[in-house]
Amino acid sequence: MAHDRIRRQVPALADGELEPLRRFLVTRHLARCPDCAADLEALQSMQTMIRTRLPLHRAPPGLAARIGAALPLEAPPPAPTRPWIPAERFAGTALAGALAGVALTLLLVGGQHGGDPLTADVISDHIRSMQADHLTDVATSDQHTVKPWLSARLDVSPAVKELAAQGFPLVGGRLDYVDGHPAAAIVYRHDKHVINLFAWSDPGHADAGFSATARQGFNVVTWRRDGIAYFAVSDVESEQLAAFAHLVAGG
Amino acid sequence: MARGDRKRRFELLALPHLDAAYNLARWLAGNTTDAEDVVQDAYLRAYRYFDAFHGGNFRVWLLTIVRNCFMTWVRENRSSRMVFHADPPVGTTAETEETAWGQRPTDPETMLLDSIDSQTLARLMERLPVEYREVLLLREVEDLPYKDIAAITGVPLGTVMSRLSRARLALRRLWLGSEAPEAAHGA
Repeated sequence: MAHDRIRRQVPALADGELEPLRRFLVTRHLARCPDCAADLEALQSMQTMIRTRLPLHRAPPGLAARIGAALPLEAPPPAPTRPWIPAERFAGTALAGALAGVALTLLLVGGQHGGDPLTADVISDHIRSMQADHLTDVATSDQHTVKPWLSARLDVSPAVKELAAQGFPLVGGRLDYVDGHPAAAIVYRHDKHVINLFAWSDPGHADAGFSATARQGFNVVTWRRDGIAYFAVSDVESEQLAAFAHLVAGG
Repeated sequence: MARGDRKRRFELLALPHLDAAYNLARWLAGNTTDAEDVVQDAYLRAYRYFDAFHGGNFRVWLLTIVRNCFMTWVRENRSSRMVFHADPPVGTTAETEETAWGQRPTDPETMLLDSIDSQTLARLMERLPVEYREVLLLREVEDLPYKDIAAITGVPLGTVMSRLSRARLALRRLWLGSEAPEAAHGA
């Protein structure tokens, strides 16, 4: 694996954010790369220093009592709005500009807790695709290469579009697994963000419109069409991802 | 529910995190009076919206509220001392250069990191832009994973990672006695 790619993962290693396989690969590289080993050492030195020497502030005596006294005994009346309170905080999404006139209603599903396992699965596939040196199996911006490449390997022929003009250049395709079955991963970019569009055969379900959710800092938009389930995952803004989904699914 | 049950339940969950809440508020606000106000406000809000907490990590939920109360406080009492720093767009030159941690194979700076004392470190931290201080505190002091930091600060995971990288580089640069971090210029 490329040195540069590994080197970018050194902070994630120091922060304990690498999954076991990746941790193994990065650690193995470090053993024979003095540059990366020095990076890790410098990072860990700073971490240790902050953890051991940064003065911490303890709550002043009496603060707990003051707070306790200020809390009303009875449940206060619910406030009309809950701005930025972190339970379900997903706002409706309206598309403007290029999509003016197209009403794209996003059904808000899921929440910060629980949620369906498919969403968790595609998010973890998305993260893995960016950590590993394996974003694409076939790297091309040509839809006429990506689509047949995927069709030849899967029982599904998902929509592959060239959306560079709309700000979502096609990067390539990859075989992936979602929920234990093979899936197409069609990779786009928006600015420097990666969008993974997962698609797999799902004949058991009727067509369904867009639904959006946010989890772990990622946005997900899903829909079903022609017996194919689509999940778009990215860290782009929810409005951008909704626009993307509409472009892919649209005529 | 018996009278006072809700309050007792909230106190059982929330008061053990008072030091963590106060420490975050104190490091963000920079002084004890404002930190106390922010924490007290945060606890009242958390209590009011206690029913919206559906399990999960209570400390993360509470720290999110502390952080947001702090941001509200900043908006209402915008202090000229408060340096904020917008994240540069992903993929700019600055990004690719700055996220590479450590530039030379033999890094004499490693030695320096070990020789700093608590007071100096505290002073350097205070000079960092708020977002940098915040992400370093959540990562190193609260020991939180990227995804929780993303939830608390309300930014995508990728932004947490690049911000953390920049924060570490900025702290190191301060430490080496170079210019104040670039962020300070734009304030």
